[in-house]
Amino acid sequence: MMNLAADGVSGSLGSIGYGLAAIGPGIGIGIIFGNGVQAMARQPEAAGLVRQNMLLGFALAEALALIGVVMPFVYGT
Amino acid sequence: MTADVQTLASESGCHLFSGCGFPSPGLNVFEFKPIFSIGAFDFTKPMLLALISMLLVIGFFWSAFAKPKMVPRGAQNVGELGYLFVRDNISRETIGKKGDPYVPFLFSIFFFVWVMNVMAIIPFAQFPATSRIAFPASIVGIVWVTYLVLGIKNQGFVGYFKNMMFPPGLPKAIYFLLAPIELLQGLITRPFTMAVRLFANMFAGHMLIVTFSVGAWYLLGFHIGALYSATSFIVVVVLTAFELMIQALQAYIITLLAASYISTSLEAEH
Amino acid sequence: MDGAAWSSVGYLLSGMLIYGGIGWLIDRWTGHSALFLPIGLVVGIALALVLVFVRHGRSS
Repeated sequence: MMNLAADGVSGSLGSIGYGLAAIGPGIGIGIIFGNGVQAMARQPEAAGLVRQNMLLGFALAEALALIGVVMPFVYGT
Repeated sequence: MTADVQTLASESGCHLFSGCGFPSPGLNVFEFKPIFSIGAFDFTKPMLLALISMLLVIGFFWSAFAKPKMVPRGAQNVGELGYLFVRDNISRETIGKKGDPYVPFLFSIFFFVWVMNVMAIIPFAQFPATSRIAFPASIVGIVWVTYLVLGIKNQGFVGYFKNMMFPPGLPKAIYFLLAPIELLQGLITRPFTMAVRLFANMFAGHMLIVTFSVGAWYLLGFHIGALYSATSFIVVVVLTAFELMIQALQAYIITLLAASYISTSLEAEH
Repeated sequence: MDGAAWSSVGYLLSGMLIYGGIGWLIDRWTGHSALFLPIGLVVGIALALVLVFVRHGRSS
């Protein structure tokens, strides 16, 4: 980190880090909702059950994105 | 492309092959010189756009519903289409039949936010008023007061906070840990995330369009630069179409959230 | 039920705010730097996930 800054990379490194950290949850949430909608379309009678489990998976993936938000504040200078 | 971008890029007269750095747009895109000021109060472009949006919404629906006819014609047709969309797809889906008294409220939020968002791609306006946090925050403030008052009126002061803080079916000891989270979620984080979602989407959308517009101007040149510039401009056009979808979607989402908060106030969550 | 996905984000944020805040205060008090704050954040996320499960995850 310090070397990068010394070599002339300026600006907010935390926001670059969050950009990288958001890739994973973004892909994960996309997969969760994509497959959830597909499952609901295939079995409309199981829609309630699918939606509940979809929400749990969404919350787990979203937690990673929120951890990414606070990490620069925790381990920042 | 946009008026403020042109001043941003052309004031510096900056192109790729004239050997100057990219004038990257920052937060200065969202700052405007006041049109006029009364004392310390500055009247700026976002305020003007919000006023115009308000007048547009009021004017259109006034003309649609002032003299309603049994067989709707012209503007009344469009107005009824919009009203039925909000009632059937948002209110009845989330609240049910009981939500019908709140449809005018949701209807006003939906169309006001939507018109303010669409201002982002209308020529000469080209700024979404909702990308200044004050506008979403005050809209969400109204929703916040509404669902608190409705909840306290329908479930009683103690009952409302009891339903909010203590979900049924958990061991007693764990309530001690969970109740603060519930209270914070119901009173602060819920409206906060609602306002920030609208704000951040419109902010990022405007920023994207501005960045690629400035890029198209900056890359302009006689040689291969024309190709670069054309590519950047095509991206602007694609993003504008994409923004048109996002604007409607965000207006829909904020209305849907308002409806779902009102529905949790009307009856205890199961 | 449509607002459930959005409100779960609110739960996670509130859990992190409260327990991360408590961890931060303990850090200030004991003079550590970034020891109890991450612990508090993880605890807050875990409790918020419990809450999301209780509110939305049960088969009704």
